[in-house]
Amino acid sequence: MSKEVLVIGGGIAGMQASLDLADMGIRVHLVEKLPSIGGKMAQLDKTFPTNDCAI
Amino acid sequence: MLDVGRHPNIDLLAYSEVQHIEGQAGNFKVTVRKKARYVDEDKCTGCGLCSEKCPTTVVDAFNEGLGMRRAVYAYFAQGIPSTRTIDPDHCRQLNGKKCGICQKVCQAGAIDYTQQDRLIELQVGAVIAAVGYDVFDPAQIAEYRYREIENVVTAIEFERLLSASGPTSGHVYRPSDLNAKAEIQVLEKQAAKSGRMLARFEKKYGRTSADFFMQYQAAPTDDADQEKWARVYQEDLARKERLAALNDAVKDAATAKRLAFIQCVGSRDFRFYPFCSGYCCMHSIKEAIIANEHEPQTVSTIFGMDIRAVGKGFEEYKIRGGNKSGITYVRGRVAEIIEGPGRNPVVVYEDTRTRSVKQEAFDLVILATACAPTRGIAELAATLNVALDDYGFIKTVPSAPVDTSMRGIFVCGCAGAPMDVPESVAQASSAAERAAEIIFQSDPVKEKAVA
Amino acid sequence: MPENHASDIRIGVFICHCGSNIAGYLDMEALADFAETRPHVVFVQRNLYTCSESGINEIKKGIQEQDLNRVVVASCTPRTHEPLFRSSCAEAGLNPYLFEMVNIRDQCSWVHMQEKTDATEKARELIGMGIAKAALLQPQEIILSEVQTRALVIGGGIAGLTASLSLARRGYEVVVVEKDQALGGMLNHLYKLGPQMQAAKELAAETVQKVNAHPKITVFTRAHVTQVKGFIGKFEVTVETQSGAKKIDIGIIIVATGAQPLVPEGLYGYDGKRTVTQFQLETMLAKGLDAAVRHVVMIQCVGSRNDERPFCAKICCQTAVKNAILIRRQYPETKVSILYRDMQMYGVENEAMFRDSKAAGVRYINYDPADPPQVKADKVGVYHPLLGRKMELAADLVVLSTPLLAREDAHETSQLLRVPVNENGFFLEGHVKLKPLDFATDGIFLCGSARFPANIREAVAQGLGAAARASIPLSKGSVEVEPIISVLADEDACRGCGLCVALCPYGALEVRQTEKGRKVHVINVACKGCGICAATCYQHALSINSFTDRQIEAQIDAFLTVHP
Repeated sequence: MSKEVLVIGGGIAGMQASLDLADMGIRVHLVEKLPSIGGKMAQLDKTFPTNDCAI
Repeated sequence: MLDVGRHPNIDLLAYSEVQHIEGQAGNFKVTVRKKARYVDEDKCTGCGLCSEKCPTTVVDAFNEGLGMRRAVYAYFAQGIPSTRTIDPDHCRQLNGKKCGICQKVCQAGAIDYTQQDRLIELQVGAVIAAVGYDVFDPAQIAEYRYREIENVVTAIEFERLLSASGPTSGHVYRPSDLNAKAEIQVLEKQAAKSGRMLARFEKKYGRTSADFFMQYQAAPTDDADQEKWARVYQEDLARKERLAALNDAVKDAATAKRLAFIQCVGSRDFRFYPFCSGYCCMHSIKEAIIANEHEPQTVSTIFGMDIRAVGKGFEEYKIRGGNKSGITYVRGRVAEIIEGPGRNPVVVYEDTRTRSVKQEAFDLVILATACAPTRGIAELAATLNVALDDYGFIKTVPSAPVDTSMRGIFVCGCAGAPMDVPESVAQASSAAERAAEIIFQSDPVKEKAVA
Repeated sequence: MPENHASDIRIGVFICHCGSNIAGYLDMEALADFAETRPHVVFVQRNLYTCSESGINEIKKGIQEQDLNRVVVASCTPRTHEPLFRSSCAEAGLNPYLFEMVNIRDQCSWVHMQEKTDATEKARELIGMGIAKAALLQPQEIILSEVQTRALVIGGGIAGLTASLSLARRGYEVVVVEKDQALGGMLNHLYKLGPQMQAAKELAAETVQKVNAHPKITVFTRAHVTQVKGFIGKFEVTVETQSGAKKIDIGIIIVATGAQPLVPEGLYGYDGKRTVTQFQLETMLAKGLDAAVRHVVMIQCVGSRNDERPFCAKICCQTAVKNAILIRRQYPETKVSILYRDMQMYGVENEAMFRDSKAAGVRYINYDPADPPQVKADKVGVYHPLLGRKMELAADLVVLSTPLLAREDAHETSQLLRVPVNENGFFLEGHVKLKPLDFATDGIFLCGSARFPANIREAVAQGLGAAARASIPLSKGSVEVEPIISVLADEDACRGCGLCVALCPYGALEVRQTEKGRKVHVINVACKGCGICAATCYQHALSINSFTDRQIEAQIDAFLTVHP
C-alpha cells in the first residue's frame, strides 16, 4: 500500500491539488510535460473577476 | 506556483510524462519519463546568461508564437523550476554544429550535452489527472480566415499582446504592423550589408552604382565582378522599394483601438464542439476591460449568442465593463470575416435584435476559442484505463464530480469539462480529498483508530 | 526575549551579483565599500550567486566564524528567496527572524538598466536602510497551537453532508448542526435533478442514511449555533439543541448553510397558483401536473439581473430547462415556452440539456428587459425579436424563475463567526479565484449555495473540497504560524477602544477586561501581521513585531543619512 499520490498536470488545478495533499502530509509527485509548471493561467495577464495578476 | 516548487512534500517532475501505469487503488505502479533538459537541475541557478548568449532564436510557444526565444530557454520568465532547458530540435551543438557557447558561459557548470531521458518508477496510492485543455484551432473555421488575415487573433494570443511581460510589453500593436516592422528590421540589415558591398564596388571602380548599372544594362559583360555588382544593385533597388512600401504601411501604425470579440468559436457549433466552453464570455469581457484600461480610447464589440456571465460577481463585472470600458454587445453569430482596406478585418454578421445583416470594420478581431480536450488525452485515458465522454473529456457523474470510471483515479479542472479558475481550484481540492480518502484508508494504523 | 546590546550587534552583509543580473548594471564594489562603513557591520562579502550552495555556505561560515548575529542579503526578491536564506540562518544557529533582505535586482538593476550611477545610488540607499532595520530586529519563535480534531458543519444539505461524510471517512469526528427537522436541505423540496433526472429525494435519503450510520458523525437537527468563541484549532461552540444547550470543542468549522429562493411578491402577477415559482413547480411536478395545464410559459430572470439584485443566480436557467424537459416528456400534449434574456447553460452538461430541450419541443423567445413580458389572465404577451412583432402566448401556468438568495439568517451567522458576506448577502470567500472554499479567517471554510447558488455537481464538489481544505489543520494536529504578528507593545497606551477589533479582517483581536482595565488582546494564531491595527491605533499601542515604529524610523533615518 502506497501513501503517495501522483498528480498529472501542473496547471492551476494540478498545483492546487498537489498543495492540498502535500499540506495534509501526503507525498506528491507532480508530473508536468512542459519545462515549467503554471499551465494556461501563467499565460493570462490578469484574470476575472478581480483583475489581479494570474499567479 | 512558488509554493509548489518549494513544498517539502512535493516532488516536482517537470518536463516529464507518464509512460505506464498498472495496479489498483491504493497501489499503483507508475513509470515516468523525465526528458533530458541537457541542463543539470541541481546546478542551474536560473541566472539566464546561457539564454542571453545563445545564438539561435526560436519562435516562442509561451507567447503564442508572437515573440522569439533562444534554443536554451526558460519556458517563461517566472517559471518553476527556473532551470533552463535546451531545445534539442534547435540547439546547434545537439544538432552536430559547432557551438557550445552556453556551456562556456555557464558559471555554474550546469550545461550537460550528454544528458539522457531517465525513467522513474513510482509507487502511489491514488492518481489525479489535471491535464487541462487545449485552445481550439480556429483555422478549421474557413469563414473566419484566421491565419489568412493577420489581424485576426485568438483570445490567448491577445492575452499575450495585453501582457506587460508579453512580446509588446502590453501595447496592443496589430500583428500586421508587428510583422511589417519585423520584416523592415530584416530588410534594413540586408540593406546595410548590400550598401557596404556597393560602396566597395564604387570605390574599386571609381563610379557610382547607378552610372555603372545604366552602362551595364546597355552593354552587359561576362566579367564576374561586374555581374555581381549589377545583381547586388538590382536587389538593393527592389529591397528599397519594398522597404518604402512597408515604412509607408507602418508610418501611421497605432495600437488597435476598435476591437471585435467573436464568441463561441468552435463551441456551441455542431461542426466542432456542441458544448459551451463556459469561461469564454467572461474572458472576452475581461480582455475588453483590460484593453480599455491600457488605452482609454479603446472600444469593443462582443458578438455572441448568449452572454454567459455565470458566476459569483460575474454579472456585476459584465455591467461594470459595459458601462465603463466602452463595450457593446451584439446578439448574433458572425457569418464571415473579410479583409478590408488598411489591413482592417471586416466582420459580417446578423444583428438578431434588428433583424439586419451588417458589416463593420475593426482594427483587430479576437476569436474566443473553444476549450478543447487536450491532445494526447485519449492515450492518457488508455494508459490510466479511465473512460472519456462523447467529446474527449474524462467522464464523471454529477453526484461524484471528481471520480473517474477507475477507482483511485480522480480528475479535476478542464480535463473533466471546461470550467473557470474558481471552479478548477474548488475541484482540485475535491480531487485532493478523494485521493486522501484512499491514502488514509490504506493505512492500517489509521483504520484501526477509526474502528 | 534575549536582546543584544547595541554594542554586541554584529551584522554580516552578503551582496549577490546574480551572475550578471545585478553585477552587470550596478557598481558592486562601491556597494560593498559602502556597506562596510555602516554601523554594526562587521563582515561584507560579495557572491556570484548567494543562493547557490557555495553562497549559502558562505552565510553559514560567516555566522559561525565571524560570530554574526544579524544577516542582510542584498539580492533578488524575498518572494522567492527569503525562505531559503532564513532557513540557512537557522541551520547555522541564528534565529531566522534576525535576517533582513534587500531587493537590489528587481528594484535596481532590472528597472534602471540604463542608469548605472543612479541605480547604484538607489541600491546604496536600500542596503543602508536594510542594515539599519537589521540592527533592531528581534528574534521571533514560530507560533505553535494545538488543533482539536473535531469538525463542526453548519447546515445539513448536500454540500454539508458531503463534507461531513468525507471528513468522517478520513477518521475525524464531525458535528452536524441542522436547523430543520430533517437532514437533506434543498433536496427534500426538489423533484428530479438535471441532467440525469435523478430523483432528488433518493439522493438525499442515500446520503442521510450514510451520515446517520457513520459512527464518527453526530447530528443535531432543529438546532442552531448560538455562540462561537476562540480561533482555529480551539473553537468553543455553543449549540442550542432539542435537549438544551451544548458546549462543544471544535477544531475547524464548515459553513454550508445553503440559500433560499426569492418569493416574487408583486412580480408578473405572482399568486402561487396559476403563476408560481420554479421551486413551487418542483412540488407540483412531484405530485403530478393538473391535466388542464396545456400551455406553460416560463419567464427567466424574475427578480434578478435588475437594479435591485444585479447578480445572475447561475442555476435558474438550468432549472427551467430541466423542468421544461420533464413536462414535455411526461405530458407530451403540454407546450412549454421559455422567455429569457441569456440562456446561462454553461459547460458540457447544461448545453447538452439545452439542446435536448429544443429536441423535445421547448420553445425559446428572447426578451429585452426594457420591454418585459406581460402576464394576462390566460396569456403572456411578449415581443418576438426574430419575427419583429408582439405576440401572445396561451398560458394556463406561468412559471417564474427566481434567483436563489442568501439566507435571511446569513447575516447572523456572519456575525457569529466574524466572517464577511458580500453585497448580495452570500458569504465572502478568502479569495474569489484562488481560495474559493476558505474564509480569510483561518479554520473556517465554506461550500455550496451559502457561497453562491450551486447545482448538485458543484455543491458536491465544493463539499469535498471544503473537507480537503479543513482536513489540512486537522491532519497536522497543530497549526504553525509565522511569528511576524501584531503585539501590544505599549499596554498602558491602549484604551480598549476596540477600533482595531472592528477592522481586523482575521478576527485576531479582542478586548479583554484586565487589572489595568479594558485592553486589546492579540490572538497570535489568528493574526496574519497585515498591520491594519498598528496603522489604525492612534495611541501607537499596537505594533507589528518586525515592522516596529522604531525599525521604520531607523530606516528613514538611514535613508536620509546615506547622502552625507
